[in-house]
Amino acid sequence: MEQFLQQLLNGIAVGGIYALVALGYTMVYGVLKLINFAHGDLFTIGAYLGLTLLVSAGIAGALPLFAAILLVFIMVALFVALIGFLLERTAYRPLRSAGRLSAVVSALGASIFFQNAIMLIYEPRVYVFPDFLRPTFTISLFGFTFPGIRLFIVGVSILLMLLLWAFIQKTRVGTAIQAVAIDQDAARLVGINVNKIISLVFLIGPGLGGIAGLMVGLYYGQIDFTMGWGYGLKAFIAAILGGIGNIPGAMLGGFLLGIIEALAAGYISMAWKDAIAFFVLIVILIVRPTGILGERTAEKL
Amino acid sequence: MKKLLLLLLLCCLIPALCQAETLKIGLMCPLTGKWASEGHDMKNIVSLLVEERNNLGGVQGKTIELIVEDDAGDPRTAALAAQKLSSAEVVAVIGTYGSAVTEASQSIFDEAGIVQIATGSTSVRLTEKELPLFFRTCPRDDAQGLAAAEAIAKRGFKKVAILHDNSSYAKGLAEESRNELKKLGVGVIFFDALTPGERDYNAILTKLKTADPDLIFFTGYYPETGMLLRQKKEMGWNVAMMGGDAANHQDLVKIAGVDAAKGYFFVSPPLPQDLNSKAAKDFLASYKEKYKSEPVSVWAVLAGDAYKAIESAFALKHSDAKSIAGYLHKLSGLQGFSGDLGFDAKGDRIGKFYRTYTVNGEGKFVIENE
Repeated sequence: MEQFLQQLLNGIAVGGIYALVALGYTMVYGVLKLINFAHGDLFTIGAYLGLTLLVSAGIAGALPLFAAILLVFIMVALFVALIGFLLERTAYRPLRSAGRLSAVVSALGASIFFQNAIMLIYEPRVYVFPDFLRPTFTISLFGFTFPGIRLFIVGVSILLMLLLWAFIQKTRVGTAIQAVAIDQDAARLVGINVNKIISLVFLIGPGLGGIAGLMVGLYYGQIDFTMGWGYGLKAFIAAILGGIGNIPGAMLGGFLLGIIEALAAGYISMAWKDAIAFFVLIVILIVRPTGILGERTAEKL
Repeated sequence: MKKLLLLLLLCCLIPALCQAETLKIGLMCPLTGKWASEGHDMKNIVSLLVEERNNLGGVQGKTIELIVEDDAGDPRTAALAAQKLSSAEVVAVIGTYGSAVTEASQSIFDEAGIVQIATGSTSVRLTEKELPLFFRTCPRDDAQGLAAAEAIAKRGFKKVAILHDNSSYAKGLAEESRNELKKLGVGVIFFDALTPGERDYNAILTKLKTADPDLIFFTGYYPETGMLLRQKKEMGWNVAMMGGDAANHQDLVKIAGVDAAKGYFFVSPPLPQDLNSKAAKDFLASYKEKYKSEPVSVWAVLAGDAYKAIESAFALKHSDAKSIAGYLHKLSGLQGFSGDLGFDAKGDRIGKFYRTYTVNGEGKFVIENE
């Protein structure tokens, strides 16, 4: 029983990051019906940029640690959001009338471009966040010990997701995003600037991805230029699992995938945990092709 | 006309006469391609040693002539290089690095009657062919498993959990170690693989913890090792952990943090800078003087060992391939740059080659003295 609860916590911690990355996929898909394969690489850019700002640019030395990290989180979010915005302008907008397949190929191309650009700018080796940046306090709760920072990551993930959900559901701009997701032409007819809304989506999604990348870098301490691929793939799966295009679905899918992986590793086989997680995905998609929460296709997001 | 013929005859004779005064050996190494840095190290080391020997008057009153050929780390280029060296009539060849590359040259040297001492080719089957003139100064792939098992037994661990990452190297080492541990009577209570390249290994550590081992042996590479050490520490689990030579990288401590890495140990071939022997120290001093740096790859240092073996054969007046090979097959206890040097009947290196390194309180790798 104790092992079960511990594995559950492990799964939730990993799932929180999957969920945060999945939000970027799901928002873009909800609005544009485009799978943004470059999202995982925007996540990597967030991690590298955070390291550069904190260490090479010396922000970590100039300010108290907490303030420095907070500032760098904001800077990374803004910068990666800007890259996402430019990505949409250059790689996706010119292809918007050309059909979905062209856009997906363009997204794959953008992913390869980013990955190689990171490799060439920073060398193709593992980078390590210096020890003093990584908070290591442990929390003991009901007989379980786990690092406080994991709790913090899960908390931040949930908070960001709730904020995003509230933004989409409760504000005028959020309503406009929903309208564009349902029907772009109709949205244009009621006076919504569709291009602006799509640009906004490409600011929010990559911004969240960048934050997730920096969180992974800060907590796990080790980054390399291919890390976005693994997280991107898992988050993509999480988005589909929960019902792609659906924000609560992305959250649910992320946590579920993390938990399935942890339990598979704990109770069945460590080497087979990914295979088991993907098998569960296949079963869920056979039973519910739209994903767990993806039933009302007309009201995505 | 007669004068011209005489001149021609002289032209032919002079190099032939000169040849009699030198002992020709070849070095085949990857000077271009993906292993170029190892290849240049090999060339630097061997030419430095040849130069030193010749400055002292050579061996048997003859100077040693070194002929270097590039194999580009590629089997086809290696076959060409081997043919060039054969027609240059060298008596022995040092090299080369990769197992597949060495394999492409083995039969060429064997047919030409040239002694070959490979330096970085660890694949088991190279010496299983039992070619009479083939040797290697590197250990075989299965030697590391034995060294690891011995290190574990020596430290008195009883319940070992072995973990690999499904790469052919790490899986091979894990399986080899499991077999050797069984022979030594140490229990292997857990054997499984993790997925390399992930960040979060908490689920795996939680599972391992239920098996309650007294040692975790992860045979994979340093990035995952660092993550495991760190997350193990964060779980508050103080179990010993060890690794193989893929963990021999300073970034390991950076990833894990000094506290979490302290006490971690791994088996690895030693670098000369970690050895106390006079041969290693003298060699390192002259290497530093000439090239202003330290050799970084142990596999290149093994080319120096190969040269050392050939030179010692020359010194005992073995100058044709057959008698050199006969001498080498019986050689043991020669002081090399990476420890004691000797060969068995198959041409494999004998003696203990792997050493144990431990991470100390400052996060430095400290070699364990025998």
